[in-house]
Amino acid sequence: MASRVDALATKYLRPRKIPSTACGGCGLGQVHKQVIKAVDELGLGLDDIVWGTGIGCAGRQTFNTWKGDNFAGTHGRAYVIATGLKLALPPDKKIILTVGDGDAFSIGLAHLMNCARRNVGMTVIVLDNLGYMSTGGQYGVSTPKGIKTDSSPYGMYEPNWLQKGAGLMGMLREAGATFLARHTSIQGPVVVESVKKALLNNGFSLVQVIYPCVTNFSGVAFGSRDPLVAYRWLKEHTVGMHDETTKETCFRTGIYHDASNTRIEYSELQRGVVSDIQRREYQ
Amino acid sequence: MMKRLLETGNAAITEGAILAGCKVFAGYPITPATEIAENMSRKLPKVGGYYLQGEDECAGMHMCIGASLGGLKAMTASSGPGFILMADPYGWAIGSEIPLVVVNAQRVGPVSGITGAPGQGEFYMSRYPTQGGNYETIVLAPNGVQEAMNITVEAFYWSERFRTPVTILADQLVTDGWETLCIPETEEEMAQMGLKVIPRKMHPGPEFYPATDEIDIPPVVLGHNTGAACSDWTPTAEGYDTEEVEWQHKHAWRLIYKIRNNRHLFTKYETYFTDDNPDLVLVSYGSPSRVVKSAVKEARAQGLKVGGIRLITLWPFPEEVFDISSKYLTVELNYDGQLVREVQRAVPKGSEVHFFGKCGELPGVGELNGVMKDILAGKKITGNKWEWEAW
Repeated sequence: MASRVDALATKYLRPRKIPSTACGGCGLGQVHKQVIKAVDELGLGLDDIVWGTGIGCAGRQTFNTWKGDNFAGTHGRAYVIATGLKLALPPDKKIILTVGDGDAFSIGLAHLMNCARRNVGMTVIVLDNLGYMSTGGQYGVSTPKGIKTDSSPYGMYEPNWLQKGAGLMGMLREAGATFLARHTSIQGPVVVESVKKALLNNGFSLVQVIYPCVTNFSGVAFGSRDPLVAYRWLKEHTVGMHDETTKETCFRTGIYHDASNTRIEYSELQRGVVSDIQRREYQ
Repeated sequence: MMKRLLETGNAAITEGAILAGCKVFAGYPITPATEIAENMSRKLPKVGGYYLQGEDECAGMHMCIGASLGGLKAMTASSGPGFILMADPYGWAIGSEIPLVVVNAQRVGPVSGITGAPGQGEFYMSRYPTQGGNYETIVLAPNGVQEAMNITVEAFYWSERFRTPVTILADQLVTDGWETLCIPETEEEMAQMGLKVIPRKMHPGPEFYPATDEIDIPPVVLGHNTGAACSDWTPTAEGYDTEEVEWQHKHAWRLIYKIRNNRHLFTKYETYFTDDNPDLVLVSYGSPSRVVKSAVKEARAQGLKVGGIRLITLWPFPEEVFDISSKYLTVELNYDGQLVREVQRAVPKGSEVHFFGKCGELPGVGELNGVMKDILAGKKITGNKWEWEAW
């Protein structure tokens, strides 16, 4: 197993950046590996993908790890950068964005929704560590109810995007996203399959993968930085999207929406409109 | 045959962008720059370009950055309230050396202020359009329709050569005003008008961010597997993110001195009646400079020894033109006095610098005539109680 991962890293990742500086036991590495596996299993090469990142642990730890072309955008803006970039790239290039929960679901949410509306071809991987962890551990829009962080010392009381009734995936679906999935980082092979589907959708795909930050989240919420404590908690709260549960905090996982390749991709739409106008103009 | 039309500054900027090879416009409607977006939406598809309407100005400029990173020339346009939302992408474009053109049709502020009237409130903001310091900016200011077109072509040209966003700081009277516009239709006509176009090049890597003040280094273009890396972090020469201050120093030095050390290439200003050591020099840019010139001519006709400096390049500030030991008067469209502070810094030691502000409307020739006479007579200028005499 280890040798296969090494082979993948050698094939796709830059030795200068791998291993990353993420904390030992961080779920980020798990998800990064799952994405690379998906890329490899689809037979995609360095030439096929431009890799973009955001701010925070998710952005900093994955930026410029890809041996091909990379960019790191300002906080919450990678989606709109990708929108312009996709128009300019040769049509067969894919864009993967690895971003955090704050980047995608808080500061960048307006852009994310509009990218879903336009169905811009990109695969957004949200590395959801349940709050603002690279700044030391403050609650975010996906921090579960009651969880203590450095900015929710009395327990998280603000409603979050993952709680019952809050339809983050539903909103993105209604906005027009064509592939949506939510998993936790311990669901390795399932995540790989979802990312493969996401990459095969010529449109807006988002795969959210949840893992508790083992340092700042777990340290405050569980009083322990032992990854085993964090992943045991994650396992207890990982629930299939149709499973019955009485747990108030649970991460409902599965493919939320698969309308892959049913809507025209935005840059394709733009190219089509422009070539029609040009044809009419020069007829 | 050159086209000769009666057009607005907004239309002129659109024409300039198309001539320069702009292929993407992404923005958000705002008075008095909306017509640039509208014109681009009509014209760009005809030349194989794309019009995008962002969910806000921040998105619009980021889309331009994305397109530019993909190898297409891009432009956005706005006014003060949208310009402020571009602080985020400005920093990225400056730091990552991404060619781009940004138009700001200044209106009356603060905040939303008055939409359809001219102001000059972003003189300093155009110098510091983003946080963090450690950079220099190129800002050009047209004062009429024809110049708006020409400067737009130039802005694209310099943005490619310097790998940086170039800002066109116009105002509502320039963008909404109607004047004669000559549009070249052939390369010879372009050359006749002194307009140069440079195609987008692509950096082959691996030293995407060399620590030199050289210009004409091709920009980073993604999607061709050059191993390019382009980020908001302090980069190493290869584009890796780094926390090392040595690299920060190299990066900042390049961002500042590639522009400062080569600014003679693009620095432009107009001087008139300044050869005979005038007693008073009027300084202005943008639409007020049109009135100022008339006022100076009129004053000369009356025998007053006055001259004028009209700035076209605003940043880096062309301080070398302020070498006349004389009294100075800046005329600008704000009441707080912005250009005047920079003039104070640039003039020979001991020179008196006066300020005359207006906003939302131009000063009148007669009004300025009175102000000039007061200053020359050594009197305090107290016409409308908005003058500031800090000398």
